[in-house]
Amino acid sequence: MRRRGIAAISFALAAFSAVLAVALPAAAQDDSSSGGSVLRIGWAQDPSTLNPFVGLDEEDYNVWAMNWDLLVNFDPEDLSPAPGIAKSWTVSDDKKTITFKLDPEAKWSDGEPITSTDVKWSLETLGSEGDLFTNYTSNVTRIDTPDDYTVVVHTSKPDARIIGGLFIYILPEHIWGKVPLKDLTGQYKPDLPLVGSGPFVVTEYEHGRIIRMERNPNFRGPEPAFDEVQFIKYGTQDATERALQLGEIDMVMEVSATNFARLGSEPNIETVKSPTPAYTELAFNLCPEDKCPDAQFNPAVQDRDVRQAIAYAIDRERINTIAARETSYPAHGILPEFYKSFYEQPEQDYPLDVDRANQILDDAGWVMGDDGVREKDGERLEFDLYVRSESTYNIQAAKLVAEQTAPIGVKFNVQVVSVDKLTDLTIQKVDGKPAPDFDTFIWGWGGDPYDPSFLLSLFLSTEIGGLSDSFYDNPAYDKLFAEQAGTFDVAERKEIIKKMVAITQRDLPYIVLTYDPNLQAYRTDTVANVEPACPADGGDIICEQVGYAPLSTITPGDASGSGDGGGGQSPGLAVVAAIVFGFGGWMLGLRQSRRREREPLELPE
Amino acid sequence: MSGRWLAGKVAAALLTLAFVIVFNFFLFRIMGDPTTQLARLPGSSPEQIEKLKADYGLDKPLTGQFVDYVGDTLTLDLGISQRSREPVWDEIKDAIPWTLLLVGVGTLAATLLGSWLGVVAATRRGKRADDGLLSFSLFTYAAPEYWIGIILILVFAVWIPIFPAGLQMSPGVEFNSWWAEVTDVLDHLILPATAMTLMLLGQYFLIMRSSMVDVLTEDFVTVKRATGLPWHRVVRSHAVPNALLPLVTIAAIQFGAVAGGAITIETIFSWPGLGELSFTAINDKDFPVLQGTFLVFSVGVIFANLIADCLYFYLDPRVQSR
Repeated sequence: MRRRGIAAISFALAAFSAVLAVALPAAAQDDSSSGGSVLRIGWAQDPSTLNPFVGLDEEDYNVWAMNWDLLVNFDPEDLSPAPGIAKSWTVSDDKKTITFKLDPEAKWSDGEPITSTDVKWSLETLGSEGDLFTNYTSNVTRIDTPDDYTVVVHTSKPDARIIGGLFIYILPEHIWGKVPLKDLTGQYKPDLPLVGSGPFVVTEYEHGRIIRMERNPNFRGPEPAFDEVQFIKYGTQDATERALQLGEIDMVMEVSATNFARLGSEPNIETVKSPTPAYTELAFNLCPEDKCPDAQFNPAVQDRDVRQAIAYAIDRERINTIAARETSYPAHGILPEFYKSFYEQPEQDYPLDVDRANQILDDAGWVMGDDGVREKDGERLEFDLYVRSESTYNIQAAKLVAEQTAPIGVKFNVQVVSVDKLTDLTIQKVDGKPAPDFDTFIWGWGGDPYDPSFLLSLFLSTEIGGLSDSFYDNPAYDKLFAEQAGTFDVAERKEIIKKMVAITQRDLPYIVLTYDPNLQAYRTDTVANVEPACPADGGDIICEQVGYAPLSTITPGDASGSGDGGGGQSPGLAVVAAIVFGFGGWMLGLRQSRRREREPLELPE
Repeated sequence: MSGRWLAGKVAAALLTLAFVIVFNFFLFRIMGDPTTQLARLPGSSPEQIEKLKADYGLDKPLTGQFVDYVGDTLTLDLGISQRSREPVWDEIKDAIPWTLLLVGVGTLAATLLGSWLGVVAATRRGKRADDGLLSFSLFTYAAPEYWIGIILILVFAVWIPIFPAGLQMSPGVEFNSWWAEVTDVLDHLILPATAMTLMLLGQYFLIMRSSMVDVLTEDFVTVKRATGLPWHRVVRSHAVPNALLPLVTIAAIQFGAVAGGAITIETIFSWPGLGELSFTAINDKDFPVLQGTFLVFSVGVIFANLIADCLYFYLDPRVQSR
C-alpha cells in the first residue's frame, strides 16, 4: 500500500513537470518580448571598449562606424569622399586650406546641434590622443571655426587625406570635451545611450555578451527598417556559425575560410565574399648596409634578379586555391584592387613562368648546385621564411612558396614562429639602428578604406625604423609618395600611384600573394533586400567598419521574429525537469519504504 | 591537537598560495613583452608604445614590478585588462558566478550520480548492469570533454533542436519576471552542465565502484551481514560511508581538472565564465587577465584541497586520533 502511494507521488511530480513543459514556453514567450524588429549580428570577438581614445580592435570600428560620422564619409558606391558631418567643402588654390561647411539642421541623438566646435575638438583631441587615430592629422597646422557651421583646416603642405582620408570620428564635444584627457586615454566609459550622429546609437553594452544599438531619433538619412541592431558575442567562430545555421542570429560578420563553402550550401544562408584593403605578402629584407649595419640575412635576398625569379616561380592562383581555399584573390602588386579609384593592374605582373625564372637566374650567374640549390661565389639561394603560428593560411602559403620555388633552385626553410617572435625579428634594433634578423617572411597589412597613402607609406625610406619591414630605400619612390599625397585630383593621383606600383613591382620589396577578403554570411529568410556595398558590386553586407548605408535598405525577412531573440524555453528543459522530479520522487519513495523495514534481530550499533 | 593539525593545513595552503603568486608573476614575464603585439598596429609609433608601457607599469625594473604586483594582488587589485582596460577583478567577478553555477551543478550531479552508480555497480559486480555501467563510464571518462560538448550540441541543438546551442541566456531579451529569466538560464545550463557531468562522472563512478568492491569484501561487512541486517542496510549504513573517503580526495583533486574542463566547455557553449574569460585572454594575449584567472583557479584548487582535508577530519576518525 505504502509503496504504491509513494510511486503515485513521484508519478504525479513527473506529470506536473510535463504540464509545465507545455505551459512554460508559451508563458516565457509572453514574458520576454522586446518588441520591434531586431537585426541580430553574431561574432566571436567583441569590442573591448566603446571609447575610441583607447580602443585597439578591428571590431571596435563596427560599432563606432554606426554610431558616429566622419567629417567626410565614404561613398557606399566606391568609398570616395561623400558628405558626412560636412555637407560640402572647398579647397584653396594653394591646396593648403580646406573649408568645410556643416549642416545647420544636423543634431546629435540627444538633440544638441552638431557644430564646428565638435569637429575642431574631435580632430584636435582624438586626432592627437586616440591610439588608432594619430597619423591622419600630421600635416594639420591649425583648425579655425569662424562660425558654428564652418570649419577651416590649414595644412603645412597639400594633403589629399584631409578629404577622403581623415578617418577620425566626430564626437559630441559637449560630452567628451568635459572629460579630463587623462580619463579619456585611461578608463573613461562613456554614458549610454552613446550620443552619436549615425543611424543607430549604443544603448546597452555588456562586454563579452551583447551590444544593443537603437535608432537615433535625430538621424539625418533615410530611416532604417530595423528598430534595433544587436551584436551578440559567442565563444568561438564555430559557435557563431552554428547560431546562424540555427537562426539565432541573422548575420555573421566574419566567417572562417574553412567553413565558408559549407555554410554557403546550407539552406537559407547566403555567403558574401567582399574585397578589403588588406593583403598577404612575401617580404624580403632589403635593409641597406648604412641604415642597418647589424642586420642579419643572406645577402642573396638583396639581389633583384633572385626576387624576380622567385616572383615568376610563385603561382599566386594556386596559393589562393589551396592555402586560402579560394576565399582570397590572387594579388597584383602592393595596391589592392579594393582601391577602385586608384587601382590599375601593373604591367609587370609576374605570371607563373618557371622557364623565365630559370632563365633569369642562369643569366645572373646563379649555377644549379648538386643538391638542387643554386649558388654563386659561395652564396647559396637558401633563405629562412618566417611565418606566424596562428595563421594556418600563412603557414600553408609558406609551404607552397617553398614547394614552387624548389624547381628553380631556390630553397626556403619555413620557420613557424609566434607573432611576438616575428615582430622582434623585424623591429629589433642595435645601437638605435634597425637590425632585422630575417631573410623573408609572410605576413599581412590592412589599409584605410579610401586613401591608399597608408599602404604606400610602408615602403618609404623614412619608415625604416618605423613601419617599414622590408626596409626598402628608394628616393625616387619617396618623392612620388610626397607628390601623390598632395594631389587632390583623382586621375592625376592615380597616374602617380601607378608609377609607384611599377617601381615596387620591379624592385619587389614585397611579392604580394593575395588580396584578402572579408567573409560574411546572412540568413535569407530573416533579412531581405541585402545589397552589398562599399564598394558596390561585390562589396559587403553592411559596409562593415566604414559606414552604414546598407542598413537603410535591409529589411526584416518573412521569417524574421519580433525580436524575441530565440527566447522562450525549448521543450528540453521540461523534459529534464520531468526526469529530475520523477527520479527524485522515485528515490524518495525508495527511501521511505526502506525506513519501514527493520529486522527484529538487528543488533544495537 | 586538532587545532594544531588544522593550523598546519592552513599554513601549508597559504605557503602554496604564496608560491603560486610568485610563480604566476615570473611565468607571465618570461612570455615576452606584451606591448610588442601593438607594434604592427597601423599608426602606433615608438612613443605610443612607450606610453603604453608606462600605462601598464612595464617600464619599471623587474623587482619594482614584483613588489607592486604582490601588494596589488593581496588587495585584489589584479591590474587592468590590456584589452578592455577594465580592472581585471571586475571581469573575474562577473565571470565567477557563471562558472560556479556550471561547475557546481556539474560536480554535484557527477558526484551524486557517479557514486550512486558506483554503488549500484559494485553491489552487482560481474553482472550485466555492472558491465554496462563500467563500459559507459570508461567511455565518458576517456572521451575528451570538447568532443562530448560538440556531440551534445549536434544531437540536442542541431538535429533534435530542444536545447539552445550556446550562451547563458537568450541574447537581447528583456525579461519581465525573474521566473522567466531563471528558466531561461536553466534552459541554457542543461547542455553544458550535462557535458561537465559526463566529463566528471566516469572518475567518480570508477573510484566509488572500486572502493565499494574493496569494502564489501571486508570482514566487518560479513559480520554485519551475519547479524541479520538486511543487505541494503549493510550497504547504505556501513559500506558506503567507509567507501566515501577516496571520493572526497578525488573530488578535491578533480577541482583542477574541473577548471581545465571549464575552459573548453565554457568556450564551446559560449558560457561567460572564467574558462571563456581565460580562453579569450589567451587569444588576446591579455596577460593581466590570464594572470588573474590563473590565480583564481589556483586559489580554487588550494581551497578545495583544504576543504577536503577538513572533511577528512570529520569523516575519518583515524585523522582525528593522530
